[in-house]
Amino acid sequence: MAYSEKVVDHYNNPRNVGSFDKGDAAVGTGLVGAPACGDVMKLQIKVNEAGVIEDARFKTFGCGSAIASSSLATEWIKGKTLDEAATIKNTEIAEHLALPPVKIHCSVLAEDAIKAAINDYKAKHGESAAAAE
Amino acid sequence: MEQLADNRSPPAWEGRATGGGTAASSPCWSCRGPVGDADYAFCSTCGAVQPPLPITHFQRLGLASGFQIPRDQLDAAYFDQARRLHPDRFATRTPRERQFSQAQAVSLNEAYETLKDPLRCALYLLTLAGRSSIAQERTIRDPTLLMEAMEAREALEEATDLAAVEALAARQRADRDSCLASLQQLFDAGDLDGAEAVTLRLTYLAKLGEDIRLRRMRLAMSA
Repeated sequence: MAYSEKVVDHYNNPRNVGSFDKGDAAVGTGLVGAPACGDVMKLQIKVNEAGVIEDARFKTFGCGSAIASSSLATEWIKGKTLDEAATIKNTEIAEHLALPPVKIHCSVLAEDAIKAAINDYKAKHGESAAAAE
Repeated sequence: MEQLADNRSPPAWEGRATGGGTAASSPCWSCRGPVGDADYAFCSTCGAVQPPLPITHFQRLGLASGFQIPRDQLDAAYFDQARRLHPDRFATRTPRERQFSQAQAVSLNEAYETLKDPLRCALYLLTLAGRSSIAQERTIRDPTLLMEAMEAREALEEATDLAAVEALAARQRADRDSCLASLQQLFDAGDLDGAEAVTLRLTYLAKLGEDIRLRRMRLAMSA
Protein backbone atom coordinates (compact mmCIF):
# COMPACT_ATOMS: atom_id res chain seq x y z
CA MET A 1 0.00 0.00 0.00
CA ALA A 2 1.39 3.38 -0.97
CA TYR A 3 1.06 6.34 1.33
CA SER A 4 -0.27 9.59 -0.09
CA GLU A 5 2.12 12.50 -0.60
CA LYS A 6 0.61 14.35 2.35
CA VAL A 7 1.11 11.39 4.67
CA VAL A 8 4.73 11.04 3.54
CA ASP A 9 5.25 14.78 4.09
CA HIS A 10 3.91 14.65 7.66
CA TYR A 11 5.82 11.44 8.32
CA ASN A 12 9.13 12.90 7.13
CA ASN A 13 8.54 16.36 8.60
CA PRO A 14 6.21 15.88 11.53
CA ARG A 15 4.86 19.16 12.90
CA ASN A 16 4.84 19.95 16.60
CA VAL A 17 6.56 16.83 17.87
CA GLY A 18 7.36 16.88 21.56
CA SER A 19 5.88 17.33 24.99
CA PHE A 20 4.59 19.99 27.34
CA ASP A 21 4.78 19.66 31.10
CA LYS A 22 1.61 17.75 31.79
CA GLY A 23 1.45 19.26 35.31
CA ASP A 24 1.12 22.78 33.82
CA ALA A 25 -2.39 24.16 34.48
CA ALA A 26 -2.58 25.54 30.92
CA VAL A 27 -1.86 22.13 29.39
CA GLY A 28 -4.34 19.41 28.50
CA THR A 29 -3.02 15.93 27.73
CA GLY A 30 -4.75 13.23 25.72
CA LEU A 31 -3.31 9.73 25.76
CA VAL A 32 -5.05 7.18 23.55
CA GLY A 33 -4.21 3.84 21.99
CA ALA A 34 -5.36 1.44 19.31
CA PRO A 35 -4.81 -2.03 20.75
CA ALA A 36 -5.38 -3.84 17.46
CA CYS A 37 -2.15 -2.42 16.06
CA GLY A 38 -0.34 -1.49 19.27
CA ASP A 39 -0.37 2.24 18.47
CA VAL A 40 -0.08 4.80 21.23
CA MET A 41 -0.68 8.53 20.71
CA LYS A 42 -0.15 11.48 23.04
CA LEU A 43 -1.55 14.85 22.07
CA GLN A 44 -1.16 17.96 24.23
CA ILE A 45 -2.71 21.41 24.00
CA LYS A 46 -1.61 24.66 25.63
CA VAL A 47 -4.59 26.92 26.20
CA ASN A 48 -4.48 30.69 26.91
CA GLU A 49 -6.81 32.76 29.13
CA ALA A 50 -9.16 33.40 26.22
CA GLY A 51 -9.73 29.65 25.88
CA VAL A 52 -7.77 29.47 22.63
CA ILE A 53 -5.33 26.67 21.87
CA GLU A 54 -2.15 28.61 21.31
CA ASP A 55 0.17 25.65 20.90
CA ALA A 56 0.06 21.87 20.54
CA ARG A 57 2.44 18.92 20.69
CA PHE A 58 2.19 15.26 19.87
CA LYS A 59 4.11 12.07 20.21
CA THR A 60 2.93 8.97 18.38
CA PHE A 61 4.33 5.48 18.17
CA GLY A 62 2.56 3.80 15.30
CA CYS A 63 2.37 3.60 11.55
CA GLY A 64 2.90 6.46 9.11
CA SER A 65 -0.82 7.19 8.93
CA ALA A 66 -1.10 7.48 12.72
CA ILE A 67 1.87 9.84 12.83
CA ALA A 68 0.51 11.95 9.95
CA SER A 69 -2.98 12.07 11.49
CA SER A 70 -1.71 13.36 14.82
CA SER A 71 0.74 15.76 13.18
CA LEU A 72 -2.07 17.23 11.08
CA ALA A 73 -4.35 17.37 14.12
CA THR A 74 -1.88 19.56 16.03
CA GLU A 75 -1.67 21.93 13.04
CA TRP A 76 -5.43 22.20 12.73
CA ILE A 77 -6.22 22.81 16.41
CA LYS A 78 -3.71 25.63 16.87
CA GLY A 79 -5.52 28.97 17.05
CA LYS A 80 -8.90 27.33 17.58
CA THR A 81 -11.04 27.60 20.69
CA LEU A 82 -11.65 24.39 22.63
CA ASP A 83 -15.18 24.15 21.23
CA GLU A 84 -13.97 24.67 17.67
CA ALA A 85 -11.22 22.07 18.08
CA ALA A 86 -13.75 19.60 19.45
CA THR A 87 -15.68 19.73 16.17
CA ILE A 88 -12.80 18.33 14.09
CA LYS A 89 -13.93 15.04 12.62
CA ASN A 90 -11.80 12.05 11.78
CA THR A 91 -13.35 12.03 8.30
CA GLU A 92 -11.83 15.47 7.60
CA ILE A 93 -8.40 14.23 8.66
CA ALA A 94 -8.77 11.03 6.62
CA GLU A 95 -9.93 12.98 3.58
CA HIS A 96 -7.15 15.55 3.80
CA LEU A 97 -4.50 12.83 4.07
CA ALA A 98 -6.24 10.57 1.52
CA LEU A 99 -6.06 7.65 3.96
CA PRO A 100 -7.04 4.27 2.51
CA PRO A 101 -9.95 2.45 4.21
CA VAL A 102 -7.67 0.19 6.27
CA LYS A 103 -6.06 3.28 7.82
CA ILE A 104 -9.22 5.18 8.72
CA HIS A 105 -8.84 4.12 12.35
CA CYS A 106 -5.62 6.18 12.53
CA SER A 107 -7.68 9.33 11.94
CA VAL A 108 -10.22 8.14 14.52
CA LEU A 109 -7.38 7.84 17.00
CA ALA A 110 -6.31 11.43 16.29
CA GLU A 111 -9.85 12.75 16.76
CA ASP A 112 -10.12 10.82 20.03
CA ALA A 113 -6.76 12.24 21.14
CA ILE A 114 -7.97 15.83 20.56
CA LYS A 115 -11.13 15.14 22.58
CA ALA A 116 -9.14 13.47 25.37
CA ALA A 117 -6.77 16.45 25.59
CA ILE A 118 -9.69 18.90 25.74
CA ASN A 119 -11.41 16.83 28.42
CA ASP A 120 -8.21 16.67 30.43
CA TYR A 121 -7.80 20.46 30.20
CA LYS A 122 -11.42 21.06 31.16
CA ALA A 123 -11.22 18.71 34.14
CA LYS A 124 -8.01 20.35 35.25
CA HIS A 125 -9.32 23.87 34.64
CA GLY A 126 -12.45 23.22 36.67
CA GLU A 127 -10.35 22.01 39.56
CA SER A 128 -7.75 24.78 39.45
CA ALA A 129 -10.42 27.47 39.03
CA ALA A 130 -12.14 26.15 42.12
CA ALA A 131 -8.83 26.14 43.93
CA ALA A 132 -8.07 29.72 42.85
CA GLU A 133 -11.32 31.12 44.19
CA MET B 1 -6.91 -43.81 14.04
CA GLU B 2 -4.01 -45.60 12.36
CA GLN B 3 -6.21 -47.35 9.86
CA LEU B 4 -7.19 -43.95 8.51
CA ALA B 5 -3.66 -42.90 7.74
CA ASP B 6 -4.00 -44.24 4.25
CA ASN B 7 -6.28 -41.93 2.34
CA ARG B 8 -7.38 -44.35 -0.36
CA SER B 9 -10.53 -43.11 -1.92
CA PRO B 10 -12.17 -45.33 -4.48
CA PRO B 11 -14.65 -43.15 -6.32
CA ALA B 12 -17.74 -44.80 -4.95
CA TRP B 13 -20.15 -42.60 -6.78
CA GLU B 14 -22.71 -45.34 -6.98
CA GLY B 15 -23.27 -44.52 -3.37
CA ARG B 16 -23.65 -46.76 -0.40
CA ALA B 17 -26.58 -46.62 1.89
CA THR B 18 -26.49 -43.23 3.51
CA GLY B 19 -28.31 -44.17 6.65
CA GLY B 20 -27.47 -45.65 9.93
CA GLY B 21 -24.38 -43.74 10.95
CA THR B 22 -24.20 -41.98 14.27
CA ALA B 23 -22.06 -39.19 12.87
CA ALA B 24 -23.63 -35.76 13.13
CA SER B 25 -21.77 -34.50 10.08
CA SER B 26 -23.07 -34.78 6.53
CA PRO B 27 -22.24 -38.01 4.70
CA CYS B 28 -18.96 -38.46 2.87
CA TRP B 29 -18.99 -36.74 -0.53
CA SER B 30 -17.22 -39.74 -2.02
CA CYS B 31 -18.77 -42.90 -0.58
CA ARG B 32 -21.95 -41.35 0.89
CA GLY B 33 -21.21 -43.26 4.04
CA PRO B 34 -20.87 -41.74 7.51
CA VAL B 35 -17.73 -39.63 7.80
CA GLY B 36 -17.22 -40.47 11.44
CA ASP B 37 -15.72 -37.91 13.79
CA ALA B 38 -16.66 -34.46 12.60
CA ASP B 39 -13.24 -33.13 13.56
CA TYR B 40 -11.39 -35.53 11.37
CA ALA B 41 -10.16 -34.67 7.88
CA PHE B 42 -10.80 -38.08 6.34
CA CYS B 43 -13.90 -40.23 5.95
CA SER B 44 -13.85 -43.10 8.43
CA THR B 45 -15.67 -45.31 5.93
CA CYS B 46 -13.67 -44.91 2.71
CA GLY B 47 -10.77 -42.72 3.77
CA ALA B 48 -11.50 -39.91 1.30
CA VAL B 49 -10.35 -36.43 2.31
CA GLN B 50 -13.25 -34.20 3.37
CA PRO B 51 -13.79 -30.45 2.99
CA PRO B 52 -12.81 -28.67 6.23
CA LEU B 53 -15.67 -28.19 8.65
CA PRO B 54 -16.18 -25.03 10.69
CA ILE B 55 -14.69 -26.48 13.87
CA THR B 56 -12.37 -24.82 16.37
CA HIS B 57 -8.59 -24.84 16.01
CA PHE B 58 -8.46 -27.11 19.05
CA GLN B 59 -10.90 -29.60 17.55
CA ARG B 60 -9.02 -29.56 14.27
CA LEU B 61 -5.84 -30.57 16.06
CA GLY B 62 -7.65 -33.04 18.31
CA LEU B 63 -6.61 -31.14 21.43
CA ALA B 64 -8.48 -30.01 24.50
CA SER B 65 -9.16 -26.27 24.51
CA GLY B 66 -6.81 -24.21 26.67
CA PHE B 67 -4.14 -21.52 26.83
CA GLN B 68 -0.56 -22.44 25.98
CA ILE B 69 -0.78 -26.08 25.00
CA PRO B 70 2.64 -27.67 25.63
CA ARG B 71 4.69 -27.22 22.48
CA ASP B 72 5.57 -30.90 22.06
CA GLN B 73 1.88 -31.85 22.20
CA LEU B 74 0.95 -29.16 19.72
CA ASP B 75 3.75 -30.12 17.33
CA ALA B 76 2.91 -33.83 17.53
CA ALA B 77 -0.77 -33.16 16.80
CA TYR B 78 0.10 -30.87 13.90
CA PHE B 79 2.71 -33.04 12.21
CA ASP B 80 0.52 -36.10 12.59
CA GLN B 81 -2.18 -34.47 10.49
CA ALA B 82 0.09 -32.46 8.22
CA ARG B 83 1.74 -35.68 7.06
CA ARG B 84 -1.60 -37.10 5.96
CA LEU B 85 -2.41 -33.93 4.08
CA HIS B 86 0.91 -33.67 2.27
CA PRO B 87 0.33 -32.61 -1.37
CA ASP B 88 2.41 -35.55 -2.66
CA ARG B 89 -0.27 -37.91 -1.39
CA PHE B 90 -2.83 -36.21 -3.60
CA ALA B 91 -0.76 -35.58 -6.71
CA THR B 92 -2.59 -38.28 -8.69
CA ARG B 93 -6.03 -37.69 -7.16
CA THR B 94 -9.00 -35.94 -8.67
CA PRO B 95 -9.07 -32.11 -8.71
CA ARG B 96 -11.80 -32.26 -6.10
CA GLU B 97 -9.69 -34.27 -3.68
CA ARG B 98 -6.68 -32.03 -4.29
CA GLN B 99 -8.84 -29.01 -3.58
CA PHE B 100 -10.21 -30.49 -0.34
CA SER B 101 -6.78 -31.58 0.85
CA GLN B 102 -5.39 -28.11 0.19
CA ALA B 103 -8.27 -26.50 2.05
CA GLN B 104 -7.67 -28.91 4.95
CA ALA B 105 -3.97 -28.06 4.97
CA VAL B 106 -4.70 -24.32 5.02
CA SER B 107 -7.11 -24.73 7.94
CA LEU B 108 -4.63 -26.94 9.76
CA ASN B 109 -1.79 -24.45 9.34
CA GLU B 110 -4.01 -21.63 10.50
CA ALA B 111 -4.93 -23.65 13.60
CA TYR B 112 -1.31 -24.47 14.35
CA GLU B 113 0.01 -20.94 13.83
CA THR B 114 -2.75 -19.48 16.00
CA LEU B 115 -2.27 -21.87 18.92
CA LYS B 116 1.54 -21.72 18.73
CA ASP B 117 1.67 -17.98 19.35
CA PRO B 118 0.57 -17.08 22.92
CA LEU B 119 -0.88 -13.68 21.97
CA ARG B 120 -2.80 -15.08 19.00
CA CYS B 121 -3.97 -17.99 21.15
CA ALA B 122 -5.20 -15.62 23.88
CA LEU B 123 -7.05 -13.47 21.32
CA TYR B 124 -8.55 -16.61 19.80
CA LEU B 125 -9.75 -17.93 23.17
CA LEU B 126 -11.34 -14.56 23.90
CA THR B 127 -13.01 -14.57 20.48
CA LEU B 128 -14.35 -18.09 21.07
CA ALA B 129 -15.78 -16.84 24.35
CA GLY B 130 -17.58 -14.05 22.47
CA ARG B 131 -15.10 -11.32 23.37
CA SER B 132 -13.50 -9.98 20.23
CA SER B 133 -13.17 -6.35 21.22
CA ILE B 134 -9.36 -6.26 21.38
CA ALA B 135 -8.85 -7.31 17.81
CA GLN B 136 -11.31 -4.67 16.63
CA GLU B 137 -10.30 -1.17 15.69
CA ARG B 138 -11.20 0.89 18.68
CA THR B 139 -9.63 3.49 20.92
CA ILE B 140 -8.61 2.77 24.48
CA ARG B 141 -7.82 5.35 27.18
CA ASP B 142 -6.44 3.26 30.02
CA PRO B 143 -3.81 5.68 31.35
CA THR B 144 -1.73 3.09 33.23
CA LEU B 145 -1.42 0.78 30.26
CA LEU B 146 -0.80 3.57 27.74
CA MET B 147 1.70 5.31 30.00
CA GLU B 148 3.66 2.09 30.31
CA ALA B 149 3.57 1.62 26.53
CA MET B 150 4.57 5.23 25.82
CA GLU B 151 7.44 5.22 28.32
CA ALA B 152 8.80 1.90 27.05
CA ARG B 153 8.75 3.13 23.44
CA GLU B 154 10.39 6.41 24.43
CA ALA B 155 13.11 4.56 26.34
CA LEU B 156 13.73 2.43 23.25
CA GLU B 157 13.89 5.51 21.06
CA GLU B 158 16.51 6.98 23.36
CA ALA B 159 18.57 3.78 23.59
CA THR B 160 21.63 4.49 21.49
CA ASP B 161 23.72 1.36 22.04
CA LEU B 162 23.12 -2.37 22.05
CA ALA B 163 23.59 -2.70 25.81
CA ALA B 164 20.77 -0.25 26.46
CA VAL B 165 18.52 -2.08 23.97
CA GLU B 166 19.35 -5.44 25.55
CA ALA B 167 18.39 -4.10 28.98
CA LEU B 168 15.01 -3.03 27.59
CA ALA B 169 14.65 -6.39 25.85
CA ALA B 170 15.25 -8.22 29.13
CA ARG B 171 12.54 -6.17 30.81
CA GLN B 172 10.16 -6.74 27.93
CA ARG B 173 10.74 -10.50 28.21
CA ALA B 174 10.16 -10.47 31.97
CA ASP B 175 6.95 -8.45 31.59
CA ARG B 176 5.80 -10.74 28.81
CA ASP B 177 6.52 -13.87 30.87
CA SER B 178 4.58 -12.52 33.81
CA CYS B 179 1.65 -11.71 31.47
CA LEU B 180 1.73 -15.28 30.11
CA ALA B 181 1.80 -16.76 33.62
CA SER B 182 -1.18 -14.72 34.76
CA LEU B 183 -3.05 -15.43 31.51
CA GLN B 184 -2.60 -19.14 32.16
CA GLN B 185 -4.19 -18.77 35.60
CA LEU B 186 -6.95 -16.47 34.38
CA PHE B 187 -7.97 -18.71 31.47
CA ASP B 188 -7.82 -21.79 33.71
CA ALA B 189 -10.05 -20.02 36.22
CA GLY B 190 -12.40 -18.79 33.48
CA ASP B 191 -11.81 -15.15 34.43
CA LEU B 192 -12.40 -13.57 31.02
CA ASP B 193 -12.40 -9.96 32.23
CA GLY B 194 -9.00 -10.48 33.75
CA ALA B 195 -7.74 -12.37 30.71
CA GLU B 196 -8.91 -9.58 28.41
CA ALA B 197 -7.05 -6.93 30.43
CA VAL B 198 -3.81 -8.91 30.44
CA THR B 199 -4.15 -9.73 26.74
CA LEU B 200 -4.45 -6.01 26.04
CA ARG B 201 -1.17 -5.42 27.83
CA LEU B 202 0.36 -8.34 25.95
CA THR B 203 -0.53 -6.76 22.59
CA TYR B 204 1.49 -3.68 23.54
CA LEU B 205 4.37 -5.79 24.81
CA ALA B 206 4.36 -7.73 21.54
CA LYS B 207 4.55 -4.48 19.58
CA LEU B 208 7.39 -3.32 21.81
CA GLY B 209 9.15 -6.63 21.16
CA GLU B 210 8.91 -6.03 17.40
CA ASP B 211 10.34 -2.55 17.75
CA ILE B 212 13.16 -3.85 19.94
CA ARG B 213 14.03 -6.39 17.26
CA LEU B 214 14.12 -3.71 14.55
CA ARG B 215 16.17 -1.39 16.71
CA ARG B 216 18.65 -4.15 17.53
CA MET B 217 19.03 -4.97 13.85
CA ARG B 218 19.62 -1.35 12.90
CA LEU B 219 22.22 -0.90 15.64
CA ALA B 220 23.95 -4.14 14.67
CA MET B 221 24.13 -3.06 11.04
CA SER B 222 25.52 0.37 11.84
CA ALA B 223 28.11 -1.08 14.23
